[in-house]
Amino acid sequence: MQVNIEDKNGVTVCSMVGDIDINTSPDVKKSFDQIIKDKKDKVVIDLKDVGYVDSSGLATLVEILKNLRAYGGKLKIADLSDKVRGLFEITKLDKLFDIVADEQEALSTF
Amino acid sequence: MTTPAMKTRIANDSHLLKEVSKDLIAALKGKGVEEDIIFDVHVGFEEALRNAMIHGNRNDPEKKVTIETQVTEEAVIISVEDEGEGFDPGKLPDPTLDENLLKEGGRGVYLINHLMDEVAYERGGRKVVMTKYFYKKHL
Repeated sequence: MQVNIEDKNGVTVCSMVGDIDINTSPDVKKSFDQIIKDKKDKVVIDLKDVGYVDSSGLATLVEILKNLRAYGGKLKIADLSDKVRGLFEITKLDKLFDIVADEQEALSTF
Repeated sequence: MTTPAMKTRIANDSHLLKEVSKDLIAALKGKGVEEDIIFDVHVGFEEALRNAMIHGNRNDPEKKVTIETQVTEEAVIISVEDEGEGFDPGKLPDPTLDENLLKEGGRGVYLINHLMDEVAYERGGRKVVMTKYFYKKHL
């Protein structure tokens, strides 16, 4: 699992590559420590290159959302594959997260 | 062609979880099963293994997880059994209720029940038996 973090005009874009699962979730959490510490308030998680997420991964994304919301930060999730999007729909997490088509839409709607 | 049932007993280690899952996924790919079906089996199988290791065996490295898989012409049948105290799946809170959406845990069994076609809990919840059919006509 790799998390590439870039600032794009004040929006923090986190592009993930690999699976978000029981083994990689701790690293994903850790990669957001600085973002939370710096109180970045506009964050995009780009899942274009994530083909698999398990319940640990979903839990990690919920935890990141809660941490951001604690100081008024906003999170958008972009570019989900159909299957990963299906997991968000089954668990109704699509109601909790602001899910957008792609990074461009995320950047233009903040 | 139905392949012989495979039975294995693994240590309570999440890295082994990925190994056994990888083997089953490779077998299904080799059989030409649709990617969408494989994805559901992948998630369902790993959630069952994860539940067995974390919730059943409570991360105890001395405990084991017993796995049986069988691939037939029409389905894959998987059982996962832990050495814990069992649980009542009917008593788990619904993770999709508004008041539970922000909770971090509680989605594993829910995903299994929705992604697999048949799910049965045996031996007081210590064992889960799951079936996924390869063709939608069986649903």
